[in-house]
Amino acid sequence: MQHHADSSDIAETASRESRRRWRSWITAAGFASPWLVGLLALFIYPFVVSLYWSFCQYDLINPPRFVGMENYQQLANEIATGTGIAHALWNTGYYALLSVPLSIILGVGLATLLSCDIRGQSIFRTLFYLPSVIPVVAASILWMWLLNPADGLVNSVLGSLGLWQPQWFASPAELVSPDSLTEAAWANNSAPIGSKDALVLMSLWGMGNFMVIYLAAIGDIPKSLYEAARIDGAGPIRRFVNVTLPLLTPIIFFNLVMGLIQSVQAFTQIYIVSEGRGAPADSTLVISLHLFLSAFQHLNMGYASAVAWLLFALLGIATWFLFTTSRRWVYEGVR
Amino acid sequence: MNASSSLRGMLAIALIAVLGIGLLASQQWLTASDVQVPSDREEVVFWHFWGGADRAIVEDVAKRFNESQNEYYVRPIAMPGNNLDLKFFLSVTGGDPPDLLNIDDPVIADWGHRGAILALDEVATPDEVERLQVWLFPAARRLVTYENRLYGVPNGLDIRALYVNKTMLARYGLSSPKTIADLDHIAETIAPPGQSKPYQHHGYLPDSRRIWAWGPVFGGRFYDSSDGQVTLTSPEIESALTWMVSYRDRYGPSEIARFRHGDQSLPGKTFPLFAERYAVVMDGQWRVHDIRAFQKSQAEKREEVTQFDAIPLPVPPGGKPNAGWVNGNNFVIPRGANASRGAWEFIKFWCGFDGQEAAAAKTCVAGGWIPVSQHVVDEPTFQQFLDEEPLFRTFIELAGSENQYPVPVIPGAPYFNNEVKNLAESAMSSPKEPDLPQMLKEAEARIQSQIDRARNEQ
Repeated sequence: MQHHADSSDIAETASRESRRRWRSWITAAGFASPWLVGLLALFIYPFVVSLYWSFCQYDLINPPRFVGMENYQQLANEIATGTGIAHALWNTGYYALLSVPLSIILGVGLATLLSCDIRGQSIFRTLFYLPSVIPVVAASILWMWLLNPADGLVNSVLGSLGLWQPQWFASPAELVSPDSLTEAAWANNSAPIGSKDALVLMSLWGMGNFMVIYLAAIGDIPKSLYEAARIDGAGPIRRFVNVTLPLLTPIIFFNLVMGLIQSVQAFTQIYIVSEGRGAPADSTLVISLHLFLSAFQHLNMGYASAVAWLLFALLGIATWFLFTTSRRWVYEGVR
Repeated sequence: MNASSSLRGMLAIALIAVLGIGLLASQQWLTASDVQVPSDREEVVFWHFWGGADRAIVEDVAKRFNESQNEYYVRPIAMPGNNLDLKFFLSVTGGDPPDLLNIDDPVIADWGHRGAILALDEVATPDEVERLQVWLFPAARRLVTYENRLYGVPNGLDIRALYVNKTMLARYGLSSPKTIADLDHIAETIAPPGQSKPYQHHGYLPDSRRIWAWGPVFGGRFYDSSDGQVTLTSPEIESALTWMVSYRDRYGPSEIARFRHGDQSLPGKTFPLFAERYAVVMDGQWRVHDIRAFQKSQAEKREEVTQFDAIPLPVPPGGKPNAGWVNGNNFVIPRGANASRGAWEFIKFWCGFDGQEAAAAKTCVAGGWIPVSQHVVDEPTFQQFLDEEPLFRTFIELAGSENQYPVPVIPGAPYFNNEVKNLAESAMSSPKEPDLPQMLKEAEARIQSQIDRARNEQ
């Protein structure tokens, strides 16, 4: 009888515990529901559907029609013939490969300078961070004024110094390209700096975000390491190369990955400065803009989805490559 | 978990539910219109892109239409900005499109081909369609005809002509150009090539986007509708592009880019002709209003009043007179519209078809728009307007010309439009001597492939 009472109590306790867990789960799900709904409706569903659409012909108006690999074949064909997406890939690569390393080099340099114990340090820090809080649309319009080849501030200053004045957003020329090496490219006062180089310059304007992270990381480096290096006779450059830089590599790696993703997905500022079409002469037609025009101007949603998946794959490969190679240069401390 | 924490969880869920319901309920209030549609009328929902002063004109047309009606009631909804197309697609996909839409991109054929808009013969009677074809200017008819069916009606035409600063030309002993050679002479006289300092003035500089206008002037066509072939490599189009690129050779791509970009920084985007940056500029009929305001301002300041002219694009040997590129804003009726018949009645009222020319003339005068039919032009109200604005006459004469062509009305037209502009832009800004025949050949193949694909869709 006693045994029977004990097992009944145990069952009752287990049932109470189960009800408690169930109620707890419902409460948790209730609180998380806005996020869960958002995740399912705005992320998972579009993610899956865009994969399906990339194998379809779909114009938003009529139902999607399955066409197999046709969209991917078109992408392959364009890459082979150097048209369409090939152009966008070149423009995107050019922008990312110049803007990301430059923003890292300048960001680290600036953070190192701003971490020095100087008068007005906080004012300089604020000034360099300030551009990061300006909305991208306002900053883009500001840069269009600054880089106006006829009477923009930048060219006015260059002109008053007797220097040559680039055409910035008005020219499809490229500083880093085979064409720029020809003599003709430099003739008629028309050296090859153009729209993409102007975009790179624009991107450096917002590097304050990354600079703040470097500043925090530099502040976290133990002073004892610098003291030890100083005792060993290391000068400022040696201390920077042998102490600061190795200990910053995890942060540099983080900013490298984030910067790469951001630059490859850049859209708003490019849409604004390129008349929404990659002007002049497709020189600012990056992948995200090509995707947008394909989807919403040419009503080619299936092809645009394939472009989105190509972009996803390229970013995945680039990120994997960075992670793989990071073992060689990122300092992770003593394990 | 105790009872109180469980209660708190339930309360949180209840609060979220109340907030959700509240948001849904407020939608009704937030989107409620202040327009009261009479109960005995059928509502016609009209989406358009006009903002600013033009919006008031649109609303006045709707008001006049509503006063003239006892069956339909038009409710205009302004959607200025870039995303009207996207909103439209979503409304069609969602099954709740407007009854009438006004667009200004070359998308008629694309949308008609995909079944997003109705052909006019699905709404109007065969007799109405037949009479409308004759009633419209040829340029207006071309803008909305796809595979021999009308898919909309333009509410006004955009025509390009050359504006000439006659006072500036007189200073150099020059007069308005009649031929391409005259235009080149003006350019070289006012801005002699090889100047070492940055140019402050130019006689004329071709804008790469205007290849669509110069192509027909040189006697060319971009597309042959009889066999569906892109004809960019035709000798006439190549001649037009070669002539435009000759300005690149004369002044250098850098100078052209620099000078053109400077136009954008003029205060309030002032018409560059006023600042004497150019002596001759290609632009649309809306500049007539700006010129009038500028001259009035000069007179009020007791300054010498600058004299202007508006002339057809000058023609090269073998070219076509009164030719150019026509564009327009078009009324289209979405498939699935609830009040398509009411939409058609409003289109007729606005454009002046079926004996409503007087009302249309009033609308065109108010907006400074070019009518789509000679019958509206002939109205006394519009003739009086032309007497007051003589520069506008040139645009009206060009609107009636057989040689005004739009971007080909075919599926894939937006791509065609962009690629042709890009081609001319690349040629004119190339740092190397451009190989025009090769560039035209490559662009032709690329565009052909894209429009074949667009045509075969659905």
